[in-house]
Amino acid sequence: MERERVIIVRYCEIHLKGKNRGYFEKVFMNNLEKALTGIRHEMKKPSGRYIVEKFDEARTDEIIDRLRKVFGTHSLSAGYQVDAEMGAIYDTVRMVAPESGSFKVQANRGDKTFPLNSMQINAEIGGRLLKDKPGLCVDVHSPQSVICVDIRENGKALVFSEFVKGAGGMPVGTSGKGMLLLSGGIDSPVAGYMIAKRGMKLDAIHFHSYPYTNMQAREKVEDLARKLSVYTGGLILHVASVTHIQEAIHKNCPDEMMITLLRRFMMRIAERVSERVGAQCIVTGESLGQVASQTVEGMTSSNAVVRLLPVLRPLVGFDKTEIIERARMIGTYETSVLPYEDCCTVFLPKHPLIRPDLKKVVQAERKLDVEGLIAESLEGIEEVRI
Amino acid sequence: MIYLDNAATTAPDAGAVAAAMKYLQAEFYNPSALYRAGFSAHRAVEEARKNISALIAPQGGYELIFTASGSEADNQALFSSVRRGNFVTTEGEHAAVYNTAKELAKRGIEVRFAKLLADGRVDVADLLAKVDEKTSLVSVIHVNNETGAVNDVAEISARVKKASKAIFHSDGVQAFGKLPFTLGGGVDLYTISAHKIGGVRGVAALLRRKGCRLDPLVFGGGQENGLRSGTENTFAIKQFEFAAKKKFDRLHGDLEHVRALNRMAREALDERLFEIISSEEASPYILSVAAKGLRGEVLLHMLDDAGVMVGTGSACSSKNKYSRVIAACGWNERYAEGVLRLSFFASNTPEETERAVAVINECARKLAERMN
Repeated sequence: MERERVIIVRYCEIHLKGKNRGYFEKVFMNNLEKALTGIRHEMKKPSGRYIVEKFDEARTDEIIDRLRKVFGTHSLSAGYQVDAEMGAIYDTVRMVAPESGSFKVQANRGDKTFPLNSMQINAEIGGRLLKDKPGLCVDVHSPQSVICVDIRENGKALVFSEFVKGAGGMPVGTSGKGMLLLSGGIDSPVAGYMIAKRGMKLDAIHFHSYPYTNMQAREKVEDLARKLSVYTGGLILHVASVTHIQEAIHKNCPDEMMITLLRRFMMRIAERVSERVGAQCIVTGESLGQVASQTVEGMTSSNAVVRLLPVLRPLVGFDKTEIIERARMIGTYETSVLPYEDCCTVFLPKHPLIRPDLKKVVQAERKLDVEGLIAESLEGIEEVRI
Repeated sequence: MIYLDNAATTAPDAGAVAAAMKYLQAEFYNPSALYRAGFSAHRAVEEARKNISALIAPQGGYELIFTASGSEADNQALFSSVRRGNFVTTEGEHAAVYNTAKELAKRGIEVRFAKLLADGRVDVADLLAKVDEKTSLVSVIHVNNETGAVNDVAEISARVKKASKAIFHSDGVQAFGKLPFTLGGGVDLYTISAHKIGGVRGVAALLRRKGCRLDPLVFGGGQENGLRSGTENTFAIKQFEFAAKKKFDRLHGDLEHVRALNRMAREALDERLFEIISSEEASPYILSVAAKGLRGEVLLHMLDDAGVMVGTGSACSSKNKYSRVIAACGWNERYAEGVLRLSFFASNTPEETERAVAVINECARKLAERMN
């Protein structure tokens, strides 16, 4: 009897998409394939799920770990594929079934020519299991284990009993493209994660102010981008210097406006880069009231310089503790808390403006060669493919 | 590029590397092996042990144990000697002692830190006042790695011995091969390292006065008389031996050479921009200066771009603004944030020192302009 290890991937929400469903499924499958780069396998798509076959069994856990992080994945099961024949099916069920506790068998008959219907399969397999494993009892309402038997249309059957929760959400690439402002902090990678979860493809932009910030800080941001890229299916990191911008603000504008003005420059640069790479929105990790610059007035001041694109702030209503919890879950927290200086703490005023008045901000900015400074920053921008 | 960060590490001495190379290749054998080639490797290690010991303890009375780093030797000295009572050390210790002391405190040992004087040396009166009959170990750094301050460990150890039965350890990593010094008096344990004097990284040693109790930190096959298990790195040990011999042969000449470089730098640094942290009596190999009101690391990056490599008091971060050692000497934030450490070696020339200082002045002037 041939028994092959397989992984079943189920998706969420795609079924809601009506006529676009084919497109969503295609993007999802591409993302799954991309996640398995470097691992030999084959992927099939019978109706309503994907099946990964012909891989090295020793890599089962690794494959599950990679696939569960692909947005759009609802759940996964590692199981076996056997010939759709009751003897082979039962032998496999007996192998995966526990020795004791409550269970139920849940059959699903895709192939309607199979001689037994679902209820008959449940009864037949359940009965034999009770005989062979006296420690087991049936509980159809809340069993400790569910053993699934799936009779496929290709003469094969799937047997599995474990369920691993997937990342959920929508396949990345089905909701346009955004430009994430990636600092070295805790919030921005989480913002990227949240927005990618809704299917958005991301590029990221990082601002540094070397020599005021160091190479370790830059490396840290690349690490964060790498961790985030597991969920976003790779990303391009744009690295721009704001050193001369900060120096110009420091020299010409009131100290307390440093962050307000700097953020306006960041937004302008992010929008220009977005236009260049076809990103349709700017994504930031701001959370209302978290720090002095993240007030509604602060956001108004930075929004005012973005000409066309929407600015998405997926964390706007989150508490810091909620953000930290998510950062830990996606694995970016440990990197985010490494204590390197980032550009926002250089020239940091003792008392930053909490409620900047847009008119005064605009007035202060008149002392700067805004276009010249932006052009200089754009010219020196580096692209890192993560 | 001009390299003035020799207190961090020195370029491995090329002659010593060439002479030791055969132990990396043709004579790679395990010194514990019983065939002739293994025994020959063993003999080579013993010869290195004898020769390096003779440089620092010519009168004998000390045993040398090879370790993989100065930090490891310090750890072994501390963990072996501090078992009960209290441990007295200084606020001017290298992290290998300072952070080990913190760890010992976590494990229930009472740790007492003696204050520093403004010039970076330990306040001996304060140190002695902290030593009592329950003190199990006193550890005093010989030459501080940030300021170059030199503690007279012979004198201090002798006074500690009069006052208590404590074991006396000193981290001599920045002194060995640089300042004239031989072991004796009250020093029981002394740490030296290869890579600050033209040796390679991966080898250092702990010298133990014969009769002083020492326990292993690494257990295993019983190498180094059971005090430090692990197959000996014959290449690194031999290269250490050759580099150390060369350095000791030239110790006085090098010292004069480096003293001249140090003096040149002190005189040429723009006093409107810099305050000299290292005292005139400090080891000339280390010159710490503070750029007033500027951040040392920012300046370091500018110097790096301009072709000069120097060290800084500590990494720049929002959580760790400046060096604890510089702060312990009484320097306030305005100076402590701007610390640069220039550290010399015999290979540095007067010309490059002059050029480096000109670049340092120029970068500091530019940065001050940009910041103000």
